[in-house]
Amino acid sequence: MMVVATPAVREEKPDLSQMQLVYKRPESLTEAMTHYCPGCTHGIIHRLIAEVLDELGVRERTIGVAPVGCAVFAYEYFNIDGCEAAHGRAPAMATGLKRVMPDRVIFTYQGDGDLASIGGNEILHACARGEKITVIFVNNAIYGMTGGQMAPTTLPGMVTTSSPYGRDVAVQGEPLHITEMLAGMPGVAYAARRSLHSVAEIRKAKKAIRLAFQAQLQGLGLGIVELLSSCPTNWRLDPSDALDFIREQMVPVYPPGDFKVHEALKRS
Amino acid sequence: MTREYVDGATAIARAALRSGCDFFAGYPISPATPILLHMLRELPKVGGVGIEAEDEIGAISMCIGAAVAGARPMTATSGPGISLYSENIGLAIMGETPLVIVDVMRMGPATGGATTTAQGDVQFIRWGTSGGYPIIALSPSSVGECYLLTQRAFDLAERLRTPVFLLTDKDMVMSMATVDVDEYHDIPIGSRPRVPPAKPPAADGTRINAVTGRPDGRLRPEETYLPYDFEPIDVIPPTSPFGGPHITRFTTSCHDEHAFLTKDPQKVARLNEHLRAKIESRRHELEFGLVDRCEDAQVLFISYGTTARAMREAVARTRAEGIPASALTLHTLWPVPEQLIIDAARGHTRVVVAELNHGQYAREVERILYRHAALHRLPPPTIISLTRVDGRLLTPEQFLAELPSPQS
Repeated sequence: MMVVATPAVREEKPDLSQMQLVYKRPESLTEAMTHYCPGCTHGIIHRLIAEVLDELGVRERTIGVAPVGCAVFAYEYFNIDGCEAAHGRAPAMATGLKRVMPDRVIFTYQGDGDLASIGGNEILHACARGEKITVIFVNNAIYGMTGGQMAPTTLPGMVTTSSPYGRDVAVQGEPLHITEMLAGMPGVAYAARRSLHSVAEIRKAKKAIRLAFQAQLQGLGLGIVELLSSCPTNWRLDPSDALDFIREQMVPVYPPGDFKVHEALKRS
Repeated sequence: MTREYVDGATAIARAALRSGCDFFAGYPISPATPILLHMLRELPKVGGVGIEAEDEIGAISMCIGAAVAGARPMTATSGPGISLYSENIGLAIMGETPLVIVDVMRMGPATGGATTTAQGDVQFIRWGTSGGYPIIALSPSSVGECYLLTQRAFDLAERLRTPVFLLTDKDMVMSMATVDVDEYHDIPIGSRPRVPPAKPPAADGTRINAVTGRPDGRLRPEETYLPYDFEPIDVIPPTSPFGGPHITRFTTSCHDEHAFLTKDPQKVARLNEHLRAKIESRRHELEFGLVDRCEDAQVLFISYGTTARAMREAVARTRAEGIPASALTLHTLWPVPEQLIIDAARGHTRVVVAELNHGQYAREVERILYRHAALHRLPPPTIISLTRVDGRLLTPEQFLAELPSPQS
């Protein structure tokens, strides 16, 4: 059992009027407590998106399309309009929304099973059509909500509940590098991968998310950011080791980088 | 009188556009493709959106997204496409989404006969998604009815916030017919209920909340209007537009009155009862059909779609020969127009239900008339299921063969 030290109680109350507010909840997040497991990076990603929406000043005209998976509750955490799609179909739902409401900012929030497996066709063709939407692709190499099954992005040799002997690439195939695949399509204005295993990487991730939204705001095409994320529960690791797992195991297989940056975004 | 030579697909597409349909997404499939082509050609001319989707799953997802954004979408497919629509039909039911789905039936199962007419999807569309919640299905039997019932489908989809099927078949949609253009009646198309619009800002710029009347701007739904407040249970809940005065959440999980996911048994039961009650309690408004009764007839024929044409031809012929017969053309298939069937069957000893499947609707008629007879201690009529599943249409002669012989 983990022992948590209790901080000593302050004798004197600080004078709040003299303090400067340096960190607060973004307007684009609600005050709801998330249900995510300790050490899960969904909370970080939610916050990064919310900060970007605040900074771009688009909160009141943004619609988030939630996936099926752990983030199905996302609409409860974002202080924006929200929409739920069938598993994998968020890009198609987003297409319908964006075509009818072109002045709205639409993003999908999808896991690796949602985007790279069941919804492969929907993301492929949303990119082919160059839909003006932003896609946040959360890659934790596993199915979280359904109990830790092998995903298309599961690492070679990785043990999951549905690959109990480790992913055998000769039988179960190689991990799918879908962001690189999509980057080759003309309809994609921005495609990048970032990791969330350290503060420095998280800062880089936020910049990428911002660019993925700017691609939409400038009408350049689809923007997608793949985020290497943790799933301590299904990886059977504690939160700290889970971040190490991203750095040591996932980053070599899924190197962060920009795979497509539209010329107009380079200038911004 | 002006006449034109036209097919059902054209009538459906025209009626949709006249109903304010501004979004269509579909995937090519025989025999529904003519509707897709018509809509993709015409929608851009009126500022609408037409998309040839990557597959049927994408097509219906786009339509639901468009509906949630405020559009009036339609999609069209055939049996294999309905199979792929299945999950999203449930999504549309749960999200209370106005959506018109045209099913142009072809021979099944599986690839079946892509260009062969059939009526095998009748029970499939009713029970085609998990959970078994009700939908509405209308079935035209002429080109003129294709026009009228498409408009009715849009009206009901909007007012009741529900998917509505237009159940047609290959011969209904692809065959040309001479039509009197006066048959094309436009009916008023309702709108889904909406929350009151936000009041204009006060002189000092303060925004007044439309529901609370307080100057508190844009609030979360739990603070203002309840998107799923089922009081009374069959009320059609008002929508609030995206980007409107309230944070709007479209959810298709079991949800509470705030649109938040819930497992609270009372709230889940209320939601599911609401989804049933909102259609069931409006049954009497949804009973459409053509009753052609002959007072001294022993036989009532019941049919729908293309098959109803042969029925009407058979009835005309037998009457010309002095043998009476009655006919009921069903325009509503779901919910089952119970009173219409009971009233039409009154006084007949023999009811023949004709359809191009193994008797899918005959079982509904049997259920209704046997129950009615049992309740009122009446002798039930003999119910005969007249079917054909070889890819050909039922002929008037096949109907006439079901009449009692003159000797009997």
